[in-house]
Amino acid sequence: MNSLQFTPLATSLFSLLAIASLILVFVMLGSRWLQNYLLAYTGQCWLIALLSAAVGYYGGYPELYLVAALTALFRGLALPYLLWRITGRMGVDRELHEIIKPSSALVIGAALVLLALAVAEHIGASLAHPDTVVLLALTVMLSMKLIGFLMLSVRHEAMSQILGLLVLENGIFLGSQILVPGMPLLLELVILFDLLVAVACFGVLTRYLVTHVGSTSSLDLRRLRG
Amino acid sequence: MSLPDVVSQIGQVLAALLLSPLLEGFILRGKERVQRATGPSLIQPYRDLWKLFHKELVIPESASFVYLITPVVAFAAMCIVPILIPVLTDFPLPQSDMGDILGGGMVLSIGSFMLMMSGLDTGSAYGGIGSSRSAMLGILSEPTLILVLAGVALLAHTMLPFPVNHLLAGHWPVFFSPAHIFIVCAFFVLLLVETDRLPIHSSTDIEIYMIGAARTLEYSGPLMAFARWASMMKQFILYTIFCNVLTLPWGLSHVGTLVGEAGAVGAIAIKFGVVALAVIVVETAQARLRFFRYQEPLAASFLLAVLGIVAQQF
Repeated sequence: MNSLQFTPLATSLFSLLAIASLILVFVMLGSRWLQNYLLAYTGQCWLIALLSAAVGYYGGYPELYLVAALTALFRGLALPYLLWRITGRMGVDRELHEIIKPSSALVIGAALVLLALAVAEHIGASLAHPDTVVLLALTVMLSMKLIGFLMLSVRHEAMSQILGLLVLENGIFLGSQILVPGMPLLLELVILFDLLVAVACFGVLTRYLVTHVGSTSSLDLRRLRG
Repeated sequence: MSLPDVVSQIGQVLAALLLSPLLEGFILRGKERVQRATGPSLIQPYRDLWKLFHKELVIPESASFVYLITPVVAFAAMCIVPILIPVLTDFPLPQSDMGDILGGGMVLSIGSFMLMMSGLDTGSAYGGIGSSRSAMLGILSEPTLILVLAGVALLAHTMLPFPVNHLLAGHWPVFFSPAHIFIVCAFFVLLLVETDRLPIHSSTDIEIYMIGAARTLEYSGPLMAFARWASMMKQFILYTIFCNVLTLPWGLSHVGTLVGEAGAVGAIAIKFGVVALAVIVVETAQARLRFFRYQEPLAASFLLAVLGIVAQQF
């Protein structure tokens, strides 16, 4: 975990981008509408693309420009387009069965951020010279993971679940951009295609759900059907 | 040739007294203009107050002394707060060390508390509904307020509004730090709550939907004027804290000359106009919700305040 020493301007830029993407996760957590989830996810992906480009610029990793372009293209355009098509087919535009109300989910999310901060401080204490941006990246990464898990566990619409998974993955990606900026390019590409495969599988799943179960809520999957 | 400090201090209170109906008028007119209507004149609140001061005073038989003293206490509380905060000058004036931002918040709460009591006092059904609803909102917005103030205190290492103003006006990194942005967003939601402009506040004047306005339904004449004026001043004071302390800490008089303070009044007009336009857009763009959706905006503002404190750690 030897990240670079960035200039103050770069540090503040990274902080702003990371914090803004964290805010967008909370937009997903506090809303009931699938369209808002999708918009928030798209915005988040564009922010992460910007972050990749910024890390590439300030850290001197030219291959990160390619990663940024691919991120913007795949996650910022292709994935949202696919998901938008799936939502259009599903005929469901909002989360119908809430285990936890959006407002309670927001408060739980705040608690998760505090937990992530505590863990990040703990990890930072074990480093020799913890940079503030490293702590911030750890916090944002952990809180995005935890909130992605929260989305996966308290939302029933198939759409919300896949977006929870994607947010979880976004968190890992964002953290890795700042913590280990020199990650091999091949890995990044593999991750991107992984996501595409996941979304494609998910499209098949929703089709199956609509035709055989008649809804896209995973609650209805508890009944056995021949 | 700067004015004596006492004169400036009196000027601050007078500015809050005399400009608050104008702000109310601007917001009312702006709302109507956004909705493609003509809207009332900018100075209509002044005319309303004038009319109310010349009307007969009718007191319900069931009213106790609480009913009589409430408007006066609320009005007096609202006159005290401008002494503590930078309305025109960015340096402390005499008696401005009586209390910090938290003290000002407490004085504001006295006014709300008395209005709540008076709503219950006359025993009318609508007053009781209004009081219980505004008590609910007050209870839920209080932790956010405390957290916002804690965030400000962590940012500037003080609770006094003047150093906070200097810090934010002079240091760009602090002004654009995530912590400050979170605190501003959380306080903006509080501003909407306290001035009855959330999506749960009905835009029509039907008693059954009222929240804050129902508390003063029983009043008439001069007492009604005082109650109305107190709520307008509360709005003005919250805008002052939002603009001059947190969001737009520029455009205040540094020395306290007459020209400088006149300029500060002009700057207030511009800054409050910008914030009021933002409030009008937010209020008009959102669909009205039923009252029991009140936790959502308040939970969001609580979350923003928590994140503001988390972001202080970096």
